[in-house]
Amino acid sequence: MILINCPYCGERDQSEFSNGGEAHVARPENSENLNDKEWGKYVFYRDNPKGIFYERWVHTHGCRKWFNAVRNTSTDEILKIYKLGDNPPNKESFSNTLKTPSGEPKVGSGNFTVKK
Amino acid sequence: MGAKDNKKSSYISNKEISFKFDGKKYHGYEGDTIASALLRNNVRFVARSFKYHRPRGIYTCGIEEPNGIVQILNEHNEPNTRATVKQIYEGLKVSSQNRWPSLNIDIASINNLLSPMFSAGFYYKTFMGPKGFWKRIYEPIIRRTAGLGKPPREFRSKSIHQNHNVDIVIVGGGLSGLIAARKLIDTQYDVLILEQDSFLGGVLKNSNKVKKINNKEPKEWIKETEKLIQASKNIKVLKNSLVTSYNFTNHLIASEDKCAGKKIDENKSELTLHKIRTTHTILANGHIERFISFRNNDLPGVMLASSFEKYIHRYGVVPETNPAIFTNNSTTATLLKSLIDLGHKPAAYIDARNKEKIGRKFLNYLEKNNIPTYINAEVEGCDGNKKIKTISIRKSNKIIKIKSSMLCVSGGLNPDIHLFTQSKGLVKWDDKLVTFKPDVPFQNTITLGSVSGNYNYEKTFEEINKKLSFLKVKNINLKIELSDINNFNIKELWETKHEKKSNWSKSFIDLHNDVTTKDLKQAVKEGFDRIEHLKRFTTNSMGTDQGKISSINSLGIVSKILKKKISEVGTTTYRPPYAPLSFSAIAGRNTYEFYDPQRKTPIHNWHIDNKAVFEDVGQWKRPWYFKKFEMESMHLAVQRESEQTRKTAGILDGSTLGKIEIKGKDALEFMNLMYTNAFTKMKPMTSRYALMLGEDGMIKDDGIVCKFDDKHFIVTTTSGGAPKVLADMEEYLQTEWPHLQVYVNSITEQFSTFNISGPKSRDIVSKVFTDVDFSNENFPFMTFKVFDYMDTKVRIMRASFTGELGYEIYITPNKALELWKKIFHFGKAYDLVPYGTETMHLLRAEKGYVVIGQETDGTVTPLDLNFNWMIGKKKKDFIGKRSLTRSDTSRDDRKQLVGIIPLDKSEFIEEGQHVVECERLPKRITTPVEYLGHVSSSYHSPNLNHCIAMAMIKGGNKLMGSKLFVSSTYGTKNIPVEVVSPIFIDPENKRLVS
Repeated sequence: MILINCPYCGERDQSEFSNGGEAHVARPENSENLNDKEWGKYVFYRDNPKGIFYERWVHTHGCRKWFNAVRNTSTDEILKIYKLGDNPPNKESFSNTLKTPSGEPKVGSGNFTVKK
Repeated sequence: MGAKDNKKSSYISNKEISFKFDGKKYHGYEGDTIASALLRNNVRFVARSFKYHRPRGIYTCGIEEPNGIVQILNEHNEPNTRATVKQIYEGLKVSSQNRWPSLNIDIASINNLLSPMFSAGFYYKTFMGPKGFWKRIYEPIIRRTAGLGKPPREFRSKSIHQNHNVDIVIVGGGLSGLIAARKLIDTQYDVLILEQDSFLGGVLKNSNKVKKINNKEPKEWIKETEKLIQASKNIKVLKNSLVTSYNFTNHLIASEDKCAGKKIDENKSELTLHKIRTTHTILANGHIERFISFRNNDLPGVMLASSFEKYIHRYGVVPETNPAIFTNNSTTATLLKSLIDLGHKPAAYIDARNKEKIGRKFLNYLEKNNIPTYINAEVEGCDGNKKIKTISIRKSNKIIKIKSSMLCVSGGLNPDIHLFTQSKGLVKWDDKLVTFKPDVPFQNTITLGSVSGNYNYEKTFEEINKKLSFLKVKNINLKIELSDINNFNIKELWETKHEKKSNWSKSFIDLHNDVTTKDLKQAVKEGFDRIEHLKRFTTNSMGTDQGKISSINSLGIVSKILKKKISEVGTTTYRPPYAPLSFSAIAGRNTYEFYDPQRKTPIHNWHIDNKAVFEDVGQWKRPWYFKKFEMESMHLAVQRESEQTRKTAGILDGSTLGKIEIKGKDALEFMNLMYTNAFTKMKPMTSRYALMLGEDGMIKDDGIVCKFDDKHFIVTTTSGGAPKVLADMEEYLQTEWPHLQVYVNSITEQFSTFNISGPKSRDIVSKVFTDVDFSNENFPFMTFKVFDYMDTKVRIMRASFTGELGYEIYITPNKALELWKKIFHFGKAYDLVPYGTETMHLLRAEKGYVVIGQETDGTVTPLDLNFNWMIGKKKKDFIGKRSLTRSDTSRDDRKQLVGIIPLDKSEFIEEGQHVVECERLPKRITTPVEYLGHVSSSYHSPNLNHCIAMAMIKGGNKLMGSKLFVSSTYGTKNIPVEVVSPIFIDPENKRLVS
């Protein structure tokens, strides 16, 4: 269970929070001007990268506030937490080495625990 | 020969207690484990093995035990208990497992002779057919013969959970753990020490490897340290606490046995599950000795050397005065010395190392004490019936046989890297120690002592001073005297060469799961050369001991076959829990009625008094139907309730309905965005049936919206959907429309709701609320009034979910029961009937009203339900609006809501059945029968006296009046049905609005 630092309440267990998927996907304002493909992209398509990911969380069993987080999906490390109105941090400011906890190589599967 | 007492210097008390093993009474001492007490009584044969039912004895002295697994007959029948861990108490009853009829005569031991059949992957290869045999024949037989203990008769949870938030956790209270703790005494750090045994001390108490610390006996030094820790304010010690997992962000789980050596107290917790958050984790959890595979290395009497040593020093019993010792490393020297110091003489000392490695000094010692010594030699195997009789030693290709009843084996030490790798740290192969040791931690993890591969007890404190220097605490200097020169060396040896004698002879790699070294070789030959595949194919190290004493050995053997380095072969993944964890510990107090909260309405007790049968709706308990008399069936009750409601009046406790209050300057704009309906032109004090969609255009929830004015709304939601609707509203307010000034608040539990409906409902409410004008002109359909009543405010809305004249009454819960009884007082004259959710469903189906979650399933748009009239098309935007014109949602052949009735009125349509075009299945099916849709609701209507059903059918709107068929679970024939409008009663709404 990971520890999440709610910007309003402080560090709490992950079980108090819910994940809200990719952050910074704005709801289109003039949806009637969009074609099916463009609208479908907003409704159905979300990114799922291995590495640095900007996502939304809500402190469901707490202050019920939404906020944003930058997480390395391959190690589950939360690198940065910021409020909704704040500017997202620069992606380049995080080193995206794609390392996994067990040192898994970029390609292929297997869960190597032994250092080569 | 035989066991000898050594209690004087051990950690066992003098209090004698008795217990039973397999029905026979034995004596032990307080503090003994089942294993140490049995060894004291010269009982060595304690179990039958998993697959071959071979006789097995105590092999180790701790959590790593693969053989001595027993069933506790007291305490609700606990199976698979480690005899080497569970402490005895007066009256404890223990039985062996996996044998029938008795341990001594076990019929299934024939498996052992049939063993050529039971090779690696046996189950995968053999039980393939014929069809149905697995379930009825193979599985029951296998379950009976290959297995562990019997499950407890009942589930009990006598456990609690406890949370800790500390700066430093020390796992293991051995030498390194205690040195680290001494450094941290009276510092600013909050420290928690977790020790699996009931005493601190680790190697200090388990052996006499350390003779003196600062000129004190180790026992005294431990006592002194414990006193210092107790006196300090910042360190807490938890004994009998085993750390089972080391999770992400330094989160550890430990299970504490509160009843070690005691009978379970019915009124106290048995286990405590500690959930620990820490900043730094110090792993000082030591090492586990491994064995060496040789022929019949599983015979009762074979034991790990360090475990033998632990029995002598920790438990005060010498299991055998003249055992033989077989080793490939230097750690057994102290065992030999212990025995000689106690006046016993080992039968033989067999060392696989050469003279140089053993050292001149130790060889002289052996010679001086006249110990039969074999160097550069190995044990080929041992023989005997249910116990060791002879041991065969191979030295320069000659076999020498000696007599001995016990054999102590040491194949080297493995740092206990389980927790370290669980925390995602990387391990590295060490050629000198011939084992894996921790290398790069992934979290804030520090490894100290033998877990980090440092077996040099003399200098442990230097390592600890260095590794803990970042904490800026004082350094410690200890003078540690050892009983033997501490110069660990080892010769790599995994398996000895052995002669094939008979099918009975086996060389085991995994004792728990009965995997032999031959199985490993065969598996590799069959292509399972990746260690993860090999493990699953052979079940090697998949027992409840997780191969603690053998998994590295299997890597060694496989690497030899593959001619690779062990670091290339790699390890399998270590996963939590470290050792079996009771379900009871995980469940804690979250069982039965505490598992999920139950929500009850204020009328709940009245429902019980009136023979209500309850249904779970989310967490709510709702009356399903009311029994008029004890024997009344659900069908009869529902028919009676719905008939009476349409005839005079019925009342439903609708307090479970979700209610949300929306207030604020921009409430109107917010409502227009959240719901499909248009609220701008809606008059104050009126209400409206409303729909909420997802962005994909699918119906998410429905409810009734009451508009007080443009700044104040109250909406109802479905009983189960309330939390989600509120969460969605909050989400949009925070993320998409933060500029809107709106507050949303759940008021579900602030109001009780009664739905009274039926032609006589107006008469009843007029008598209850005498000051209110209920006439049709002054209180029309879909309006509401708020007035003072019984010292509170009551809101009554004219609405209906039955199609009859109806009112929804909202009142504060503490007045609810009083009002409910009052309504019945006045309703008696009209035969007012209470009804439950089943009748509610029937009545709404007769009227063609949909239920979210029954007619809809997340793939249904308002258009599919012919709800076009509810969509505010002129609104610029609302959630899901754009999706209603997507090419997919505007298809003609989407599933649409229709009503269906059977052509033969006596037939009944079942819910969930398929709607098809053909009357029966063709004799030979060449193409799949086309599926048109499914039946979503179906009831026998007492008011029409035939079955009515609703269905979602492809292009249903165009199929009105056509004949289709519905499949049935009775017989092969499909039921012919007619597609009709889903509104079966009062399509003109005469009853509703009059």
